[in-house]
Amino acid sequence: MPLLEINNLVTAFHTPAGRVPAVDGVSLSIERGKTLGLVGESGCGKSVTAMSILRLVAAPGVIEAGEILLRDASGSVLNLVTLPEPRLREVRGGRIGMIFQEPMTSLNPVFTIGDQIAEAVLLHRDVSRAEARGRALEMLELVRMADPKRRLDEYPHQLSGGMRQRVVIAMALACEPDLIIADEPTTALDVTIQAQILDLLADLRQRLGTAILLITHDLGVVAETCDDVAVMYAGRIVEQAPAAALFAKPRHPYTIGLLAARPERGSRAADRATGRLRTIPGMVPAPQHFPAGCRFHPRCAFARLPECAGAMPELREVATGHFVRCPYADALGEPRRLDESREHIA
Amino acid sequence: MTQPLIDVAGLQTHFPVRKGLLRRVVGAVRAVDGVSFSIEKGRTLGLVGESGCGKTTVGRSLLRLVEPTGGSVRFDGRDVLAAGSAEMRGLRRRMQIVFQDPYGSLNPRMKVRAILEEGLVIHRLGSAAERLERMTRALARTGLTAAALDRYPHEFSGGQRQRIAIARAIVIEPDFLVLDEPISALDVSIQAQVVNLLVELREQLGLTYLFISHDLSVVEYVSDDVAVMYLGRIVEQSPATRLYAEPLHPYTLALFSAVPSVEPDRRRRRIVLTGDVPSPARPPAGCRFHPRCPLAEQVCRQAEPPATVVDGHAVHCHVAAREVEQAGGDAAAAAARMAVLMAANGSAMATAT
Repeated sequence: MPLLEINNLVTAFHTPAGRVPAVDGVSLSIERGKTLGLVGESGCGKSVTAMSILRLVAAPGVIEAGEILLRDASGSVLNLVTLPEPRLREVRGGRIGMIFQEPMTSLNPVFTIGDQIAEAVLLHRDVSRAEARGRALEMLELVRMADPKRRLDEYPHQLSGGMRQRVVIAMALACEPDLIIADEPTTALDVTIQAQILDLLADLRQRLGTAILLITHDLGVVAETCDDVAVMYAGRIVEQAPAAALFAKPRHPYTIGLLAARPERGSRAADRATGRLRTIPGMVPAPQHFPAGCRFHPRCAFARLPECAGAMPELREVATGHFVRCPYADALGEPRRLDESREHIA
Repeated sequence: MTQPLIDVAGLQTHFPVRKGLLRRVVGAVRAVDGVSFSIEKGRTLGLVGESGCGKTTVGRSLLRLVEPTGGSVRFDGRDVLAAGSAEMRGLRRRMQIVFQDPYGSLNPRMKVRAILEEGLVIHRLGSAAERLERMTRALARTGLTAAALDRYPHEFSGGQRQRIAIARAIVIEPDFLVLDEPISALDVSIQAQVVNLLVELREQLGLTYLFISHDLSVVEYVSDDVAVMYLGRIVEQSPATRLYAEPLHPYTLALFSAVPSVEPDRRRRRIVLTGDVPSPARPPAGCRFHPRCPLAEQVCRQAEPPATVVDGHAVHCHVAAREVEQAGGDAAAAAARMAVLMAANGSAMATAT
């Protein structure tokens, strides 16, 4: 049984301009100890999905439908959508930890590192202050912070970006959560520091058995860290599969386009000879203007009209564990020529 | 050899560190500390490095948007750093810059018409009718229509705004563009569109680029030559194909191995560097990379490595210099040795921390 199961989640924002369905019927599940990558471009709804899990979506955002089920080891289930607020507070930071993109938004600049980690422990565990502080030191050692004793009494501004993110990870892990939600945890960091943090997360997952929901726009990060991948586009999941299968054979035209748009190392000679990078034409639609039918069809090089503009395609299984929201995924033919002839997905 | 369009020698840009009531200068942040390169007309130099390495300051120093404190910059034979304000204005018509953030670089209170026209007016280019024609042409080149002229920046998406910023740069028909992380703020599917546009403009207009980025794959794709910066210095510089095929500097090797890839065969063992980039106010003695370098030796802590050059591929590293010498000047063999050394020592170091 999965640790976390999201069924048909709908989260919408009620703005003066009308209802904006940022997340529109998303279903996901994460097994205990596994890493699920949730990928997409800005505005696709991946962060709102994550925030919905802990009911942290700010007004005017409302979870309108769906259920979010969290199982514990004994098999009892909590529905986080309907759980009363005081009990939800035990889950936040207790059974589910969080790591955000910019570490300074999660750290309080006027408290020491030690106090902040100890506070997380005191909130969720019945321990003394001294024990909580001991736990804080243990956590800093766990995240391989250099000179952890001294760091306990330092303030966030005294640390570099990479060290701050280690502190945030230490806080998220302090109560031994079953699941960590990491929203773009390395996007603000340099590649050599990103490598350190990804290395650390992989190591911690192996040692502690924590499941991770990793939200990112970086397909390379997903390929290197995740067991499973879900690709989001315009509020919906368009493809979901084990990571190895998805990268070996992407099936949805959007995923194919995203992978093709990135110049890979060594691509230069080949691409330069033929001319240009492959692109996905147009841009991500705003939720107020989601097109009818398949939401990707106006940008899709394989689109068949009028079928693709008709009904929203279902997410269906095309190979074991490989789900795609495109009726033509098994038999994508030649890409249709788009306005700019070179902007095609080959 | 043709004469380079832009020639930079020993460029230094230090920012004073002030302290106390009297704001006395107590030190300097050596953001750029002795950088040299040249770019021939029509070619692109990619400048890569992590945040704080000084790559953005290099770009701004060339246009004197920040004042360099030493070295020389020659543009088409003219001394940029000695130019008076009138001469500088003339030079800036030929040297333009595109910034990373198209949300911050376009004035939200100005219509696109005013944004594009400003440069034409400052440089007194054309009559009103000619200006309109130039603006329309610049927009068309960047994939926009003249309808954009009467709209405000907020009415456009991030990718379109970056197209407007590029149109602003090319409307006065410059020869040289500094592109400072021009695609980093854009979504993946939009990045490829803007990269293609930049490559196309270079071909059509014969532009010369300094392409500043932390994205190694995009730099490889766009650039003819590449320079890798670390803490205010260039540590390795070479034609792009050579640098990517045969990296010699330990930092370049670590940087390459740190980039996550979707191709399984490229996901080789990652070299994880320990620690953070030191402050440019207090750069380490000797080789600036030595505190993080898995191959550092005694000499690296004491002496700054001079350039070792093999067929136009320059590297500043004591260890690489020795390997090149032992390989009898065979860069490919030396690069293979460096990769083996880094793989052996780099991962051992990562587990030790």
